[in-house]
Amino acid sequence: MSETSKVAVPDWSGGKKVMAGDLFLGLYQPSPETTGFWEGVARQELLFKWCDACARAYHPRRMICPQCSSTALSWKPASGKGKVYSFSEVHRAPTAEFAKGAPYTVGLVETPDDVHFFCRIFAENGASIAVDAPADLEFRTLENGYRLPVFVVRGAAAK
Amino acid sequence: MSKLANTCAIVGITRAIGLKGDKEKKTPLQLVVEACAQLMRETGIDRTRIGALFTGRMPRSYMTLQYSQSLVNELKIAPMFSTEVTSHGGGALGTLELSVLALEAGLIDYALCVTGEASPIWIDMIGGSANWEADLQFEAPYGPTTPSLYAQSACRYMHEYGITPEQMARVAVENRKWALHHPYAAMRHKGPITVEDVLKSPMIASPLRLLDCAPWFPGGIASAALITRADIARNTCAEPAYIAGFGQWNTHEWVGERMGTRGVEPFSRGPSMVHTGAGVAAKQAYAMAGITSKDINIAETSVPFTYANLLMLEELGFCAEGEGGRFVEAGGIDFDGGLPFNTTGGYLSFGQSGQGLYLLKEIVDQMWGHAEGYPVPGVKAGLVHGHGGPLACHSVMIVSKEPTC
Repeated sequence: MSETSKVAVPDWSGGKKVMAGDLFLGLYQPSPETTGFWEGVARQELLFKWCDACARAYHPRRMICPQCSSTALSWKPASGKGKVYSFSEVHRAPTAEFAKGAPYTVGLVETPDDVHFFCRIFAENGASIAVDAPADLEFRTLENGYRLPVFVVRGAAAK
Repeated sequence: MSKLANTCAIVGITRAIGLKGDKEKKTPLQLVVEACAQLMRETGIDRTRIGALFTGRMPRSYMTLQYSQSLVNELKIAPMFSTEVTSHGGGALGTLELSVLALEAGLIDYALCVTGEASPIWIDMIGGSANWEADLQFEAPYGPTTPSLYAQSACRYMHEYGITPEQMARVAVENRKWALHHPYAAMRHKGPITVEDVLKSPMIASPLRLLDCAPWFPGGIASAALITRADIARNTCAEPAYIAGFGQWNTHEWVGERMGTRGVEPFSRGPSMVHTGAGVAAKQAYAMAGITSKDINIAETSVPFTYANLLMLEELGFCAEGEGGRFVEAGGIDFDGGLPFNTTGGYLSFGQSGQGLYLLKEIVDQMWGHAEGYPVPGVKAGLVHGHGGPLACHSVMIVSKEPTC
């Protein structure tokens, strides 16, 4: 991410450039086709790319509607609702930083916008994370210090 | 049946191994050159006759632009075609597929296909690989690991078909039995394991436990294969392996994107975590070869988790959709009497070292009685499956001792 940008984006590389050998993996940083998403995250809004003609949502970073080949796609807020499609509780975390929160759950949440959104999934009030469990959008700060869109499965107290 | 069936054959296949503990550690380029040099010596086909060089993806431990040219330069060959074939691990067998096209068209007479990787010697594979299979911008910030990404598909597979942890564990148990006989298998000194051992092993990323996951091969492996037309092979090679059929299918990149892929096979019934391109590639390969899974005497797959082996047994046609668990439970891949499956010990017990042609070499070696590990008698036809990108890219190849049609 360029230092001149005003967009608050998750620099999950910990300030280091992402290198693979001698290659700088610059494409994995927010770039013009994805900054819209991260601008939304900074405002605590989850945005999907929409094709207006097909009324279909896509995630992430679609530049062309696979259905009608339109390139006139725009960012619009997600419904904020969803249900768990798949999940995995991570016991062996990828880094020492993430290990502070382990075990934690990552998974796919199916939203009414017909998107399968990969994110962190939390459970509250004694709820357990299971396939088809309803979940709501929230923004939470993770172990890496970034405030990101996540989904929360709520227990009985929230019903 | 395609006109490509059996038009070409593998007339030599070699491999070089370097281990983590070796006094002089080897780079992937050293290993690849070693395998190629041995191949040219064994086949008597020298550098002046190589018409094409196709490599798998550039090794993580030897990242250089124009990787295939590094090898052209080192071997001092002058091929008509030189390129990397890199649909993740699907590219390893893709090298042979492109070779067949160029050979059958009569543009060249010999193609050299190579893969090599030595990352476990040079890179911290545990720390360095955790995010490698994730979309670094949209998935990695949530802290997934490679097992937790594959686990998304395991979760759906169990949910949709009732696959049990015990059925998954059976794959690890049977794969281990083969590994105990292989001089290079990563887990050969660890002894046999039981279903209970797998179920008691530490949870890594639910539902996957330690023994549901592939260990890294403790070193590097390079493999090299020489391919030519069947008419040349018949007159010059005592032990050819005919390329009877092949298929390849690539659908997406990253786990999250899988569910956004619609309107193409294998998602004609809608997005899915449990239908993969392996099924499409296998159908292509069987159709080309003019045979069915019943004619296959040995099979190798590159999937690195127990459940994925069950899923691949379905996708590769050895049992019906959703039946992988019951097939294995009923002894379908038993070391004693089942389909010889992952006969080096597989990714689960031989270990993972990039995606190479060494699985193909295992089949050719078994076919001609040169296996390094436990011998499988009477192999006439074998199937190998290469894959990558969490079940995103798939290649299937059927090789045969005699032309299948």
